[in-house]
Amino acid sequence: MSARDPGSRGRHTTLFLLRNAPVLLFIVLLAAFGMMSGRFLTVTNFVNIFIQAAHIGIIAIGMTFVLLIGGIDLSIGANMYIVAAVLGLYLKDLPLVVSFPLVTLIGLAFGAVNAWFITRLRVAAFITTLSTLFVGRGIALYFSGNKMVGFSPEVLSLGRASYLGVPSAIWAFAIVFIVAFVTLSQTTFGRQIYAVGADADAAGKAGINVRRIVFSVYCIAGVCAAIGGLVSLSQVAVASSTFGFQKEFPVIAATVLGGTSLFGGRGGVLGTVFGAVLIQTVENGLVMTDADPYLYPLVISVIIFIAVFVDSTRTSILERLERRQIRVERA
Amino acid sequence: MAPSGAAELARPRRSLAVRLLVSEYLVLALTAVYFVVMWLLVPAIATADTLLDILAAMMPLLVVSIGQTFVLIVAGIDLAAPSILAAASVVGASMMTGEGGFALFTGVPILVGIIAFLGMGLFIGLLNGICTTRLNMPPFIVTLSTMMFFSGFALFYTSALTDDGSSFGDLPSAFVAIGQGTVHGVPYSLGVAAVVMLVAHVTLSRTVFGQWLYAIGRNPRAAAISGVPVKRAVMWAFIISGLCGGVASILYTGRLETGTPVLGQRILLDIVGAAVIGGVSLFGGKGRVTWTLYGVLFLSVVDKGLQLLGLDLASVFAIKGLVILCAAVLDAVRHRLMLRG
Repeated sequence: MSARDPGSRGRHTTLFLLRNAPVLLFIVLLAAFGMMSGRFLTVTNFVNIFIQAAHIGIIAIGMTFVLLIGGIDLSIGANMYIVAAVLGLYLKDLPLVVSFPLVTLIGLAFGAVNAWFITRLRVAAFITTLSTLFVGRGIALYFSGNKMVGFSPEVLSLGRASYLGVPSAIWAFAIVFIVAFVTLSQTTFGRQIYAVGADADAAGKAGINVRRIVFSVYCIAGVCAAIGGLVSLSQVAVASSTFGFQKEFPVIAATVLGGTSLFGGRGGVLGTVFGAVLIQTVENGLVMTDADPYLYPLVISVIIFIAVFVDSTRTSILERLERRQIRVERA
Repeated sequence: MAPSGAAELARPRRSLAVRLLVSEYLVLALTAVYFVVMWLLVPAIATADTLLDILAAMMPLLVVSIGQTFVLIVAGIDLAAPSILAAASVVGASMMTGEGGFALFTGVPILVGIIAFLGMGLFIGLLNGICTTRLNMPPFIVTLSTMMFFSGFALFYTSALTDDGSSFGDLPSAFVAIGQGTVHGVPYSLGVAAVVMLVAHVTLSRTVFGQWLYAIGRNPRAAAISGVPVKRAVMWAFIISGLCGGVASILYTGRLETGTPVLGQRILLDIVGAAVIGGVSLFGGKGRVTWTLYGVLFLSVVDKGLQLLGLDLASVFAIKGLVILCAAVLDAVRHRLMLRG
C-alpha cells in the first residue's frame, strides 16, 4: 500500500479506531462520568475501582482459562461460598498463613471434581458445573446452617491493609494476573491451552495430552474462585447465605467483554482485567453520579452489549479490511 | 430416533439394561424410579392432590422450556428467558391491576393485558434474534445482557409504578383463573401447555421450518448452502422462545395472583437444565419437545419429592444437584454406548 493511494489514510484511521474500540469506549465513559461528577476522576477513586474489581477480576482470570479451551464453569459462586463457610466456621482460630492455603486447596479440589466429571465421565461442562453449583452451595449451606458467617479480625485487617502503599486486594489481583499472563504467553502449557481451544482433535493428534490440559484449566478456575472469594470476604466482613450467588454472570461478562471467545482458542487475561475494571468503572460512575440504583443493571447491561457489539462488528470489518489485495488496480 | 433405531436392529442381542440406557425414555424411567422411592418414604406423593399439584406447578416451566428447546436446537441459548417472564409479568399485570391499571379504561383490560404479556415476549425474543442474526453477536452474550437489562427493567418499572415498589396485585379474577382455575379438576394451565406442546411438536417434527432448525443446528454452513434461510429461521427460534416466555409468564402470574419482577429469578438453570436432562443437546441439532417434557417432569417430581420430605434448603440444593449430575453422567454413558452400538 503506497502513500499515493488516496484511500490509504482513511483506511489506516478506520483500522486504528476499530482495533482500539474497547479502549475508546472506556475513555468516552471516563470523560462522561468525569464531567458529571467531580469526585470521579481522582486517584483515590481509581484505587477504589481496582479494589472493588479485584475479586471479579481474579475469578474472571480463572474463567479465561476455561473459556480458552471452549469450556465453561458455572460453579464458581458456590466455590466461593464453600471457601467462605469453611474459613469462617472451622478455620477461624488458625493463623492466616495456614488457613488461606488450606481453603485455596478446597477451591482446587472443587475444580478437580468438575474436571473429573468433564474429562473422565465426559459430561458436558455446562451441565457438570450447573450440578456442582447446586451441590456445592447445598454443602456450604449445610455447614453454615443458612446463617451469616463471620470471620476473625485478622481477615478483616488483611482486607484493609496496604503494603508499599498498595492495598492487599490490588496485590492479589496483580499477582494472579502476572502469574496467569506469564503462564498463557510464555509457557508450553499456555500454548497448549490455545491449541486445545482452537481445535481439540488436531491438538490431540499433535501429541498434546488434551485431557490433562482440560483437567488443569478447571483446577485453575477453582483456585481462582477460592482466591477471589478470599479477597471478597476480606472486604465484606460477613458472608450471608447468598455470598457468591450468581457471581458467574458478571465473571463471564467481564471475561467476554475482555475479548475472550466463548468458543475457545481466542482471548487472554489482559483483556479480562480490562473487562472487569470496565464493569466496575461503570458501576462506580453510577454511584458517583447519584444515579437511581434500579438503573444500574440497565446501564451496565447496555454497556456490555455495546462493547460486545463493537467487538463483533470490529472483528468482521477488520477481517475484510486486512485481507490482502492481490488484484492489480488500474490507474 | 432413526440412528439409535438402526443400531438396535443391527445388534439384537443387547441386554435389557443397555437397551433401556440408550432409549429416549431413560429420563422417564429415572423419574419413575425416583417416584417409587419417594412413595416408600412419603406415601403422600402418590395422592391425586399432590399429583395434580405437580402437574399444575410444572406447566409454566414446561412452556418456557419448550421455547428454550427451539433455541437449543439451532445451537443457541436463551439466557433471557427468566427476564422475559419477569418483564412480561409486570408489564402485563400493570395493564389490568385494579389499582389503576393502564388498560382499565378500554373495558377489556384482560385482553390488553394478555396482549402485553405476549408483546413483551415477542419484543425481547425479536431483539435477541436481531442481535444474534443481523449483528452477528454470540447468543450467549446477547441473551446474558438482555437478561440483565430486562430483569433490571422489571424492577425499575415496578418501583416506579407501584406504591410499595414490589408487585402489582389485585388482578382480575378471570385472569387469575387462567393460572389457577380448573375444569372438572383439570387445571386450565394444563390445557394451555398442551396446546403449546402440540403446536411445538408438530412444528419441529412435521414442518419444513422444523427441519431447517435441525439442519442449522447440525451444520449452519451446510444448511445455508442447501438453501435454508439460516438467519430468518434462527430469528424465529428466538421469537418462539420469547413468545413461550410470555405464555409461561401468564400462567405463573395467574398462579401467584401478582405481577412481580422477581418472577422466575431463580429458574434459569431449571429451564436449560430440564431441556438438557431430557436429552436436548447444547451443541445444537438434537432435541424434541417430548424430551423436554420428560426433563421438566423429572425436575418437577424431584422438587416435589424433596419438598414433601420436609428437607431444609441446604439438602434440597445438594440433592437436586446430585440428581442432575447423575442424569448427566447416565446421559454421557449412554452417548458412548450409542456410538459404540
